[in-house]
Amino acid sequence: MKALEISSVTFSYDKPAGKNKAAGQNYALRDFSMEVKSGQFHALLGPNGAGKTTLMRLITAQLKEYRGEIFIFGRNNFDKRALHDIGYAPQPVSVYTTLTARENLRLFGVMAGLTDEEITRRLAEVLEETGLAAYAGKPASVYSGGMLRRLNLAIALLHSPQLLLLDEPTVGVDPQSRNHIYETLMKINAAGTSIVLCTHIMEEAQRLCSTVTLLDRGVTVFSGKMSEIENLEKFFLEKTGRGLRDD
Amino acid sequence: MLRQFKELFRKELKILLRDRQTILLLFFMPAALIFFLSLAVGGMQADVLIGRKIQTVVENQAQSPKANLLEKKIKSHKLIERKVRPAGMDNDRLFESSKVQAVVVIPRGFDEGDSPVEVYFDPVIDAGYKAAVLSMLTSLTVEVVMGIDNLDAVVANMIVEKTKPNREFPNPLEQTVPGFAIFAMFFIAIPMSIIFLKEKRDGTLPRLFTYPVNANLVTLAKLAPYYIINIFQFILMLLIGVYIMPYFINFSLQWGEHPWHLLPITLIVAAATTGFGVLVASLARTPEQSSTLAALGAVLMGAFGGIMVPYFFMPLVMKKLAMLSPVYWAHQAYLDVFLRGAAFSVILPKLAVLTGFAIICFYLAGRKVKWM
Repeated sequence: MKALEISSVTFSYDKPAGKNKAAGQNYALRDFSMEVKSGQFHALLGPNGAGKTTLMRLITAQLKEYRGEIFIFGRNNFDKRALHDIGYAPQPVSVYTTLTARENLRLFGVMAGLTDEEITRRLAEVLEETGLAAYAGKPASVYSGGMLRRLNLAIALLHSPQLLLLDEPTVGVDPQSRNHIYETLMKINAAGTSIVLCTHIMEEAQRLCSTVTLLDRGVTVFSGKMSEIENLEKFFLEKTGRGLRDD
Repeated sequence: MLRQFKELFRKELKILLRDRQTILLLFFMPAALIFFLSLAVGGMQADVLIGRKIQTVVENQAQSPKANLLEKKIKSHKLIERKVRPAGMDNDRLFESSKVQAVVVIPRGFDEGDSPVEVYFDPVIDAGYKAAVLSMLTSLTVEVVMGIDNLDAVVANMIVEKTKPNREFPNPLEQTVPGFAIFAMFFIAIPMSIIFLKEKRDGTLPRLFTYPVNANLVTLAKLAPYYIINIFQFILMLLIGVYIMPYFINFSLQWGEHPWHLLPITLIVAAATTGFGVLVASLARTPEQSSTLAALGAVLMGAFGGIMVPYFFMPLVMKKLAMLSPVYWAHQAYLDVFLRGAAFSVILPKLAVLTGFAIICFYLAGRKVKWM
């Protein structure tokens, strides 16, 4: 069973110009395809501007005007039911800082369609898993960077999704919080959840993931098993070049 | 769907009400404006003479029987608070001290009809005060000279006032209470647009759309708390005007002949103010831009619409321009209730204008808004 199947997706942030919609456009993704099997821990790697975050936004149906198809457990991602299967932790910490962790989790739990009983049970579990139980009643505005990252992750985990999309989940956190996040993710993956991890930390990807897709300038430059790669950082630089990516 | 709506509504309300600055802006600012500006506007209106006294120095240089009688009548008049001129202080210094507004001199030769009574006023005295003092002096002088005991009582049998109650000139509370309540309701655009743009910027709003939620539901749940708060703002300002302000000012705000008309007016004014908020949120790109745009819009609409400067004080050109402001239509609709006791058919065209304004705002915002 494929957790995620992306077929020939092309997307541009530019507005179509004139009749020739393809002419003169800068593509964020071009004819991009990728597969993640059920239960896999998959790394999605690429330099800045490669199209990783765009891909995440396409999968979660935040961006809709693209060519190609995206399936989540066999359902097109435009099908609202497909969104139930996804847990998404975006790159910016996207939590309501005026609200407490408990209030944030309850809000997103209701959005995911959980019942009150399910929310009560899962809320306690994810707060425990992410080490936030002691601070659950405090507004997120007083949290440290690491705590906010963990809350960002907890929201994605709350409705027990089958596919977890993580966009740089450990950016700006201390080694303790990072390690806690790794352990949580490994536990979740071991329980059967498929995970797609976007990251710039090569050791993180090599330690956690079994498969990898390397993306650059909107196209796939490598897709295969992590075990085939001896040194991921060296491999990454060989495939994507050593030049700075400031454009 | 209903659960999602309730949860989104609750979220919006918590974010709004946990911000102390917002509470200050939406509730304390209009209450303070109503309090201080009612007192200030009250001082500008001639009606304030009721129950107020004018500090007056009365100097009787003649010391003759008629002069003494006139002095006695002036001193005992309800409009006058008698003051004594400090030694060596001329009229200019007296008025500069702000302790005296008028000086009345009964000169030598008054009894013989050779010298008239002299009156000096503080140059900045309100025209209403001046007219009242002159009228009082005329009556009392005629009484003394003609030997009439009470001219007012004599005249009362000849002249009876048949004027209908004033329906165009609001008292200070009728002016400021609905005026600043509307003004504050338009200020809802500030927190509304800031919260919307912050949610967009920090990614929480796009994150909501990664769940199976309907965009219309999110919109409705975002608008509803502001709409309800707008209604509460008006109720609070109304209660302050009706029950608290009369303790501080010699005016009252009456519910009018048809107080139930306040309900449709407030519901439609709240729709117009919420529409304005949505439009600002959709036009601005940053929270800073939105707060400037919302504050500027509200202040300009308030100034044009007859809130800052009462409509009846405006020159004709400004009165015409005022009609471009939704604040004018909202204020006039409330004055129809408080001041004019108007039938609903009279209020209806004003409500139609406000509804049109709300529809235009929502339509433009709907075309312009970007959720992501």
